Amino acid sequence: MNQGVLNGLRVLDFTRVLAGPYATRILGDFGAEVIKVQSKKTAEGAESNATGYFNHWHRNKRSITLDMSYPEAKGIVLELVKISDLVIENFSPRVMSNWGLDYERLKEVKPDLIMLSMSAMGQKGPWKDDVAYGPTLQALSGLTYLTSPTKETPMGIGYAYADPITGLYAAFAALSALEYRDRTGKGLYIDLSEYEGVCSLIGPTLLDSSLNHRNIFPQGNRSVDLPAVPYGCYQCAGIDRWCVIAVFDEGEWGSLCRVLGHPEWTKEERFSTLSKRKENEEELNKFIEQWTLQHTPEELVNLLQKAGISAGVVQNAEDLATDPHLISRDFFVQLEHPVLGKTVSDTSPIRFDEGSRGEWKAAPLLGEGNHYVFKELLGFTEDKLSSYVERGIIG
Amino acid sequence: MKDQKENLLPGIRILDLADEKASFCSRLLADLGADVVKIERPGGDPSRRTGPFFGDPPHPERSLFFNYHNTNKRGITLNLENRVGREIFLRLVKRSDVVLETFPPGYLRNLGLDFEVLREGNPGLIMASVTGFGQEGPRSKYKSCDIVASAFGGQMYVSGSPVTPPLKPFGEQSYYAASLFAAIGILLVLRKRKETGKGEHLDISLQEAVASTLEHVMIRYLYEKIVSKRRGNIHWSNAICILACKDGFMVITLFQQWETLVEWMDSEGMAEDLREEKYREEEYRFRNLDHIIEVIQRWTKTHTKNELFESGQLMRFPWAPVVSPEEVLENPQLKARRFFIDVEHPEMSTSVKYPGVPYQFSTSLPNKWKRAPFTGEDNIQIYTEELGLSEEDLRRLSSMKVI
Repeated sequence: MNQGVLNGLRVLDFTRVLAGPYATRILGDFGAEVIKVQSKKTAEGAESNATGYFNHWHRNKRSITLDMSYPEAKGIVLELVKISDLVIENFSPRVMSNWGLDYERLKEVKPDLIMLSMSAMGQKGPWKDDVAYGPTLQALSGLTYLTSPTKETPMGIGYAYADPITGLYAAFAALSALEYRDRTGKGLYIDLSEYEGVCSLIGPTLLDSSLNHRNIFPQGNRSVDLPAVPYGCYQCAGIDRWCVIAVFDEGEWGSLCRVLGHPEWTKEERFSTLSKRKENEEELNKFIEQWTLQHTPEELVNLLQKAGISAGVVQNAEDLATDPHLISRDFFVQLEHPVLGKTVSDTSPIRFDEGSRGEWKAAPLLGEGNHYVFKELLGFTEDKLSSYVERGIIG
Repeated sequence: MKDQKENLLPGIRILDLADEKASFCSRLLADLGADVVKIERPGGDPSRRTGPFFGDPPHPERSLFFNYHNTNKRGITLNLENRVGREIFLRLVKRSDVVLETFPPGYLRNLGLDFEVLREGNPGLIMASVTGFGQEGPRSKYKSCDIVASAFGGQMYVSGSPVTPPLKPFGEQSYYAASLFAAIGILLVLRKRKETGKGEHLDISLQEAVASTLEHVMIRYLYEKIVSKRRGNIHWSNAICILACKDGFMVITLFQQWETLVEWMDSEGMAEDLREEKYREEEYRFRNLDHIIEVIQRWTKTHTKNELFESGQLMRFPWAPVVSPEEVLENPQLKARRFFIDVEHPEMSTSVKYPGVPYQFSTSLPNKWKRAPFTGEDNIQIYTEELGLSEEDLRRLSSMKVI
C-alpha cells in the first residue's frame, strides 16, 4: 500500500480502542501492511469505520471482516498468520486462547512469528483479568493523585494519556523484537502491561518514595524537584487565556526583572535570592500575575523568549490547529476519505527523510480489504469468498 | 556474557549527549541491550542537580531523577567546546551507530559537529535530535522545558478544573513521550539502514510529542470544532468521574452496566430515586448528571476504596482507587509480575527497587540492571581500552579540562 521504511512487513491487527490502534498506526504510517480484523458486530462506537475517531487512528491500515464466533474464522486467521510477521492484540487475556489462537498455537504455523499482547494488567498476576480504562490506570499508577492541586482535590490528566503511551511502548517493543528476529531468526512473544507503562512515567517519584520512606503530596503546578521560581501558570488578558513561565537561575531572574521594567517590588529583600523567592513564592506569583493579566499570552511569551526565559502559551485545540509553528512544519496532513471527504490529522512526530513514510491514505471502510486479503493474499476463489460471506463468517 | 546474545538490541552503540529531555530514550534502548555511552560535560550533566535525591542534602551523585533515566549506560566526560575534545568525539562517532542529542538547534553546527560532518566518516550514522520545538520553524530557537512543552502542546489546557488554572501533568511527561517517539524513530532508521546503508537525522519536537498524545482532544476539534475544556474530576465524555469514598477517592464509571450499579446500591438501600424507570434511558441520565453524581457519591462515601474496587471488579466495573506512590510500591499485581527490579547501589549501601519496563519477552532477557554511571566513571575503560589513549594522555586531557 505504501513504500515506507516498513514496506514488506505484515501486521495482523486484532486491537481496538485505543492503545493498540495507536501502536499499529505508527507501523502503518511507516509502510507496514496493517490488516485490521473487524466484523459487523464489533464495528460500533469508536470502532465504527466512517467516523472521525476511527479515521484518525486507522489511517494507512486495511480492514477485513471475520466473525470470530464461527470456528471457520479461526482457520482463516491461521492462514493469515502464516504470511504475517507480527500479530498484535489487546483483548483481555482469555480471549485469544479461548479461540485457540494463543502464541503456542500461532507459532506452530509461523515459527518466527512475533506476537504482542497488550492488556490492562498483563497476561499474568492476580489482577490479570481486571478491567480498566486509561483513566482508571492513571488513577492506579499514582499519576492522577500527583496531577492534582491538593490531596483532597484529585483531578488527573484530562484525557486517556495511558493509551497513546502504551501504544508507543508497544510499537517500540515490536520493533525491538523485529531486530531480534532479524538477528537470530527466532520469533518472540511480548506480554505488555498498560498499567506498568503508566507506572514507569513516575519513576523518579517511586524511587523517592521507596528510598526516602516519605509520603509524597500533590503540588499542582509547583516545581518540586527543581528550585525554579517563578514557575507556573499565569492568567493573561482574554477569556481563559494563560501562559507558563519558568525561571531557573539568577541570570534569568535578572532578565525577567528587565522585561518587567524593574518595578519596585522586584527589589524587595524577600525576593533577592532564589531561596527567598521560593519561600515567598505565593506573593511573588501574585505580582507576576498582576502583570500577565494585562497582556495576551502570545505577547508575553514573545517578550520573555526574546529575553531568554522559558515561557509558553497554554494552547487549546483550536490554537494547536492554527499554530503557525506547527503549520510551518507541516504538522497537519489532509487525507481524502470516501465518506468523510477531506479530513485533517496530525502527522507523525517521528521525522526523518519524508520519503520514508510512503504515501498515506485515510482509514478503510469496513471490509474494504476483504477482496485483496482473501483473494490476492490467501488465493480464495470468488466462489469460496462469497460462500464465506453468505454464511456470515466473513462479515 | 551469555545474556547479551539473547538480548534484543546488542551491538547497537549509542553516544548519548542528551540531557533530561531525552535521556529516557537511550535508557529504553539500553534496557534491551544497546551499548549506550553517556557523554557528560566535565563536572557532570546538569540533570544530576534535579531532585528528588537520596537523603539530604542534595548531591549530584544521588539524584534519583538522573539515576532513573540513566540505568544500564556507561558514562564518560568530554568537553565538546574544546578542539581536542571534538577530535576525540569524532573518533567515538566513527565507532557508533547513533548520536542522541538535545542541544538548541544550531549549537552543534557552531562547533562544526553537525550531522553532515559527523556522517562523513560514518555514512551509516543516525543522529536523533530532541528539542523543544524541532530543528526548523519560527519557534525553533525558543527555550523549552517540560512545562513549556506541556503548555504549547495542549496538555495543560484540558487538565485541571474550570475554576483552577490549567494543570501540568505530573513529572516530565513531554520528555517521556518524546523519548518514546525518538526510540521508535531510531529503530525505524536502523531498519532502513539495513537496505540503504545510510543513516538519517531524526528531528523530534517536544511540542509535537505532546500534541500527538492528546487522545480525543485534537479529534474533537478537527472533526466537530469542539474545544475541549478542563473538567476537574469529570471525564470529558461525562461517563467517568472521581468520587470521594470513606478513605480516599475512586474513579467510577457512571453509565456502564447501569442496572447492575443501581441494583448494587439498592441492595444497600442507597439507590434513592435512581431506581426509577426514567433513569434507564441514557439520554435522561446525561441530562441529570449532577444529581446522579450526588446520589452515587452519597453511596461511595459509605465504602472504602478497596471494597468498591474489589466488589466492582467482580462485577466487571473498570473502577480503580486514586492511589499515592507509596501504595503503588505495595501493589500486589506489580509485585507478582516482578515489575520492580533490584539494582545494586553500593554507594548508598543498599539495593534499590527500580520500576522496570512494561514488557516481558518470551526469551529470557538479562534481568540484572546496572545503576547509572557516576560522572566520568568509564573514562579509563573507554579512552584507554577503546581509543588507545595512555594514562599520561588522560592526565593531560584532564588538566586541560577536556575530560
